[in-house]
Amino acid sequence: MIILNQVSKVFNKGKQNEFVSLREISITIPRQQVTVLKGPSGSGKTTLLSIIGGMSRPTSGRVTLDGRETTSLPERFLAALRRETFGFIFQQFNLINGISILENVMLPAVPNGERHAPLKGRAMDLLAMFGLEARAATRVELLSGGEMQRVAIARALINNPRVIIADEPTAHLDSKLSGELITIIGRLKQEGRTIIMASHDPLVCDAAVVDNLVEIRDGEISDSAPAK
Amino acid sequence: MANIEKQRAIIDFTLASLMRRKGKNAALLVVYTLVVAALASVMFLTKSIRSEAAAVLVDAPELVVQRMVAGRHEMIPLSYIEKIASIRGVKSVRGRLWGYYYDPVFGANYTLLVPQESPPEEGKVAVGQGVARSALAEVDNIMPFRTSQGALFTLTVARVLPAGTELVSSDLVLLSAADFKTLFGIPDGMATDLVAEVSNPSEIPTIAAKIARLLPDTRPIARDEILRTYDAIFNWRSGILLAILSGALLAFFIFAWDKATGLSAEERREIGILKAIGWDVGDVLMMKLWEGAALSLTAFVTGVILAWLHVFAGGAALFVPVLKGWSVLYPSFRLTPSIDLMQLAVLFFLTVIPYTVATIVPCWRAATAAPDSVMRG
Repeated sequence: MIILNQVSKVFNKGKQNEFVSLREISITIPRQQVTVLKGPSGSGKTTLLSIIGGMSRPTSGRVTLDGRETTSLPERFLAALRRETFGFIFQQFNLINGISILENVMLPAVPNGERHAPLKGRAMDLLAMFGLEARAATRVELLSGGEMQRVAIARALINNPRVIIADEPTAHLDSKLSGELITIIGRLKQEGRTIIMASHDPLVCDAAVVDNLVEIRDGEISDSAPAK
Repeated sequence: MANIEKQRAIIDFTLASLMRRKGKNAALLVVYTLVVAALASVMFLTKSIRSEAAAVLVDAPELVVQRMVAGRHEMIPLSYIEKIASIRGVKSVRGRLWGYYYDPVFGANYTLLVPQESPPEEGKVAVGQGVARSALAEVDNIMPFRTSQGALFTLTVARVLPAGTELVSSDLVLLSAADFKTLFGIPDGMATDLVAEVSNPSEIPTIAAKIARLLPDTRPIARDEILRTYDAIFNWRSGILLAILSGALLAFFIFAWDKATGLSAEERREIGILKAIGWDVGDVLMMKLWEGAALSLTAFVTGVILAWLHVFAGGAALFVPVLKGWSVLYPSFRLTPSIDLMQLAVLFFLTVIPYTVATIVPCWRAATAAPDSVMRG
């Protein structure tokens, strides 16, 4: 369970261009469910996701993950947390160009110091799951949008994380591919993972797989309820 | 074990990463290698020449006595031999005949010397490789000279000196004492200088002082002084070469500094991604360290090998006109490899270490930033 308690985020604090992105957000994200943060652009969804995922620290407030406070962890432990607990699927996919699909998928596991052969085997299994095993050696920039999306998901899963964080995962996908993504999300939920997504796409927000919908506007929660 | 696997995985990614920017990295590698090769060539060549010169001078006389007139070197009377031999501690003294001859036909300076042991017969000469090359002289050919009176004087080439001695024999012409005196019009009873052998080498300074007192118009020169002079000359020559190369070096350092310290937007984005997916600052820095080390070590090793081939297999074709020879005949010979590990270590610390450090600094700045920027595309 992830609990956010009075989390605020202020950019450029004390300067002329000070900007309050989040204001005292308090929510509880249940385990093994799909939670969607819904809201228009600039509402603070991405900032909230990055704080939950340990990529940035709140200006004030606390985040706890299964009872352990994460906001005050030193950078090294925060990196380990990002690597071991979370799997990230970014809006822009954020794959590294010039290297192969397989190398991209294996990247989050590099700091673990695992033996190469089992790691590669696990990466190949994930690629097989997404129908990409034949293209493992292909450079990522040669892939279609849908394929990139699947590589990004495979990369997010390489360290077998408990929590998947996805930021606008359907932003660059057509309806068919968005449907496929929602199917994959359903599969990940069945496997017992917690999924937190930021989206304003009705295809995602209205999907049957979604358990909780948190509406954010101007950095504040405007509505929080179980999905219909 | 886990750490080894981790380093291996980071190196794998680093190498794949380097291959992505093939053109840029290859250009840097080529320039870097050439700079290392140039510097290492100067080092190898200077060290090797100095070692050879020192090895050759081991057989040089311990003490040379020259006569000075008005501050200039003059012929010395053989009657001085007896006076010097009477000094306690002097084992033997003998006169030497040697000098320089300018050949106007080939525009070359020769060193003419009457060897103490087995000098050529009258009318015959033995010539060094450089002389043979420039005068197109072979065994049994006639070499024309002009005496000090302007008369034609011909000598027959009896043999050409072996190539292995070319450092000191390139411009050498060995001839008999009679021919030498005829050529330069030197009266009997005179020599170019005297050489003395001393029983106890530690007494050389004392004996030299006694000679200077006994024969005030002479100048005793100890072998150690000659060695010091050669050392100074070669240091000076390599210094000139390094000064010439310093322009190229500076250009390289600017280029390398720019490459190493400036992170492209693409590189910044990648560091952000790596951090976001769970790499910590140390992992990112380790990757950059391997990248810098891979590039600079490759350049260093390749550069040193190229320099070795250039100097010891290719005869240092690019630098030899500056560094070798003290007459217009440049010796061509294979240097005996002689490497100063200390110099190599200095070169290593001047090239590999600064480059590697320069790659890490900007990366450290980027790696310590929060990774959430990648969330915003």
